[in-house]
Amino acid sequence: MVVTGDYSAAYGALICDVDVVAAYPITPQTFIVEDFSEFVADGLTDAEFVKVESEHSAMSACIAAQAAGARTFTATASQGLALMHEMLFVAAALHLPIVMPVVNRTLAAPIGIWCEYNDTMPERDTGWLQVYCETNQEVLDMVIQSYKIGEHRDVMLPVMPSMDAFILSHTVEPVHAPSTDEVADFLPRYQPQAILDTSNPMTIGSFAPPEYIQEIRYQSEVTMQKAREVIQQVNDDFAQTFGRDYHGLIEEYRTDDADVVLITMGTVTGTAREVVDDMRREGKKVGLVKLRFFRPFPLQELRRVAENVEAMGVYDRAMSFGSGGPAFIETRHALYGLDIPVVNFLAGLGGRDVVKEDVRLMFEKTLKAAKEGRAENETVWIGTRGVKP
Amino acid sequence: MAAQTYALAAVMEDNYAVSFPFFGAERRGAPVMAFTRVDKDVIRIKTQIYEPDYVVVLDETLLETVDVLKGLKEDGMVVINTARRPDEVQLSREVNCATVDATSISLELLGRPITNTSMLGALARATGEVSMESIERAIMEKFGGKLGTEAGEKNARAARKAYQDLQVGMCRGGKDFVPRKEWLPTVQEMPLGGSIGALETEAGLVGIGSFVRNKTGDWRTFIPHVDHDKCIGCRMCWFYCPEGCITMEDQKAVIDFDYCKGCGICAQECPVDAISMERERR
Ligand code: SF4
Ligand code: SF4
Repeated sequence: MVVTGDYSAAYGALICDVDVVAAYPITPQTFIVEDFSEFVADGLTDAEFVKVESEHSAMSACIAAQAAGARTFTATASQGLALMHEMLFVAAALHLPIVMPVVNRTLAAPIGIWCEYNDTMPERDTGWLQVYCETNQEVLDMVIQSYKIGEHRDVMLPVMPSMDAFILSHTVEPVHAPSTDEVADFLPRYQPQAILDTSNPMTIGSFAPPEYIQEIRYQSEVTMQKAREVIQQVNDDFAQTFGRDYHGLIEEYRTDDADVVLITMGTVTGTAREVVDDMRREGKKVGLVKLRFFRPFPLQELRRVAENVEAMGVYDRAMSFGSGGPAFIETRHALYGLDIPVVNFLAGLGGRDVVKEDVRLMFEKTLKAAKEGRAENETVWIGTRGVKP
Repeated sequence: MAAQTYALAAVMEDNYAVSFPFFGAERRGAPVMAFTRVDKDVIRIKTQIYEPDYVVVLDETLLETVDVLKGLKEDGMVVINTARRPDEVQLSREVNCATVDATSISLELLGRPITNTSMLGALARATGEVSMESIERAIMEKFGGKLGTEAGEKNARAARKAYQDLQVGMCRGGKDFVPRKEWLPTVQEMPLGGSIGALETEAGLVGIGSFVRNKTGDWRTFIPHVDHDKCIGCRMCWFYCPEGCITMEDQKAVIDFDYCKGCGICAQECPVDAISMERERR
């Protein structure tokens, strides 16, 4: 099929045979909700579609449905995600493996509808797994994988596969869709840990004094750490079954003998692959790391790559004001003690197009840092009028 | 409030003082803890107090279930709200003990069984660490400002009366306390995310159904009495009872005293004053 990222997400939910969908539409996620409601109207699924009055209610309904033993699905973007904020903690701490594609859209002010990661980045501490997609195919495949990862006995955590506003959400490209039966073989039925059941009552999410909460927090950390292995297993199973390999927490592209690598997320990765090929033809030894999962963060994987290069660049599509880009901050944490320059690049904020020349500039700055043994500027804003990159 | 007022009085005498509460289940008059530190120097430590010089017990019923002397220094003192004399009180060991019937004082002077201000007077006398004048000034500032001068003065009078009535001596020792068993699961034992059904633990049943065994009626200082001749069966008490422990039998309100915590809301809400609150006698 030739479809949008939004359609891919909705279709992913369809073939994963979800039981309950509760969602509230927001640009540029609207089509996910619309497409799914059409599947329901056309009788393609017997899922319960719950119309709600806000994203806060959408997440609350999903939490309740998942706690009742249903496989649930929702989707949102930007302000909608911010409105869900407090409920995201509830879903994660109660170990309810909800899957929620997020279309990355700039968070106001100013109001914009285009791509920026300042919506999902503030949610990185909620306990959800986060994975950033590069293509519509990856969106569909990650919806399927998200259920398998999240519902794994050792994980039981919600997952947020995200895609760039418009660059994926509203862009059509060829997507190969497995059949419902194929997915059913790959993804077994959801086996809940604890179920709201009137004949066998439970307390879920009740009051807990200081004697109990710290152990429950530790469980969140244990399960998030376990997710590392499970992500790799599911990736490998998926590759074997469907023939598409995303390599796990990160994907390396032409890093083998690279002098420098650039870390990218989301759709900029595709453009950067082109730039790597161009520069390789010119004899420059550059490589690329696609940072796929942000939670759990690939600490060891990035360190292993860094051990073999002279400098690293990190691209961010969001800024943690007063510190640096989130991917940069965490990469440096992963690299602590390694003596190589790391340069942070900010570009594409508010949905500004990130073009090949921008990416080339990132590589050139990183090569220069490698040559000089230090970065001239640690944080480089690219394509910002009035600011020298 | 009382602990804060004591801290304020101490500061009025050029001390440094820190006071903080620790809440459990919330209800007016429910067991809570409050801690106060007083020193000539700045107090930097932020922990709860585990080895106090003084322990003040506002609710006598706690003496039956909690070893209030746990951690109290050898030469420390326990100050108790009770009608009994110090030597009539039996605790885990023999220590300095001061007693005063603050509940009666409060009922007489304030019209309510709120004993915290009275106990401040008792504490001032028992410890000699802060003068009664400073306690009165602190009460006026804390309570007078908020509740009006008249209420402030009433509370100050209650404190003064407790100061005068206090009896000082030694309590008797030798009372055995079976340490209350607590369910403290490890990370591995904790049900994922803390979601539990009915769970048998070394501390008894926790989670669903545990209230069938864990009766909460012993928190009561006051007990509601329903006059069935007056009761018109309107269900207002049933509707408002926060414990859900009122049922209607033959159109009359009936209270389950295993769970009634004596909050008095039913008596407040009853439109025909069919419910009266009486001192619990145990
Ligand atoms: S005093 Fe009345 S309202 Fe309060 S718990 Fe008892 S029965 Fe319920
Ligand atoms: S509120 Fe008073 S009159 Fe009404 S049911 Fe309760 S006790 Fe009876």
